[in-house]
Amino acid sequence: MIYLYLFWEFFKIGMFSFGGGYATLPFLYHISEVYGWYTLDELTQMTAIASITPGPVGINVATFAGLKSAGIFGSALATAAEMLPSLFLVIIVSKLLKKFSDNFYVKTAIETLKPVSCALLTSVALGLLKPEIRDVKAMILLALLLLMSWKSKRDPLFYILIAAVVGIVISFVH
Amino acid sequence: MSLTSLFLIFVKIGAILLGGGYVILPIMTSEFVDKRNLIDNDELISYFALAQSLPGIIAANMSMFIGYKLKGKWGAVIAMLGITFVPFWCIVLLASVLGALTDNGIVQGALWGVGVAVIALIILTVREMWQKSTRNAYFYTIFLLTLLSMVIFKLSPVQAILLFTAGGVLYKRVRRCKE
Repeated sequence: MIYLYLFWEFFKIGMFSFGGGYATLPFLYHISEVYGWYTLDELTQMTAIASITPGPVGINVATFAGLKSAGIFGSALATAAEMLPSLFLVIIVSKLLKKFSDNFYVKTAIETLKPVSCALLTSVALGLLKPEIRDVKAMILLALLLLMSWKSKRDPLFYILIAAVVGIVISFVH
Repeated sequence: MSLTSLFLIFVKIGAILLGGGYVILPIMTSEFVDKRNLIDNDELISYFALAQSLPGIIAANMSMFIGYKLKGKWGAVIAMLGITFVPFWCIVLLASVLGALTDNGIVQGALWGVGVAVIALIILTVREMWQKSTRNAYFYTIFLLTLLSMVIFKLSPVQAILLFTAGGVLYKRVRRCKE
């Protein structure tokens, strides 16, 4: 039974997440709350690891979450389920490229999905910023990372490396 | 080009794709335009734009567009399998030693730091999406309604997407009829 739920939940992520890897996080938080396959702490850790291993973050997190929920078969299932909607959509869109981009409903849906995705991701950011999860050190590091990129966004690895080094230094000081 | 060699190209791309969004276009350009001349540059850029406007993982969408263009349906399937091959085994292997690793103080420190960096990356993604959109009254209204419904009514992401997309399309449709 868990495989069925796993497939369905990750299929929905592939179908409804817009805006790249981190846009899958609102769904993964929801899954954690509803099914309890992994805790929020584990999800934060998974996302951290998914960001530093090869491959798209969104797929890595799905593999990880599937593994936590139902072992190696679960991780293959979650990864495949997340990409399945894309497979169908890509094939359909490749065939109907012209019609697709001029259709009123498609255009309006895409126009609407932008603010919706923005809001979903903002709600995740708000959830992660809750003071009981983060301490003062984390807030200072976050503020510094954001300050460094206010003019222009850099490669994600840049933030990850700096933050990892800061984390290691802090762990030595303690 | 055979399916096997297509698979191997995508395995390689999956292995060197580190950090996500930023490197997809340069890597794909180097593999498919510069080295092999299989796709012309304009077409690749239009795939990139399309991959971003479809749901799902951008890198996977883009790979499937290229796979479909080169080898049809099976090309798309092969692209999907190839791009996930190395990342999949990396995660599976890493997860099996993770318990031992996280007992280590240095790893704990590094993961704490990366956890904070992830929040920064999420905030920057929101900012980027925000900047790339045409922000009119419609955008702000939908944004605020969605955010409120998530924070106050705890809608699931799928519920919020379906509700507001359907609502938005309906609203625009009715307005167009009036005009």
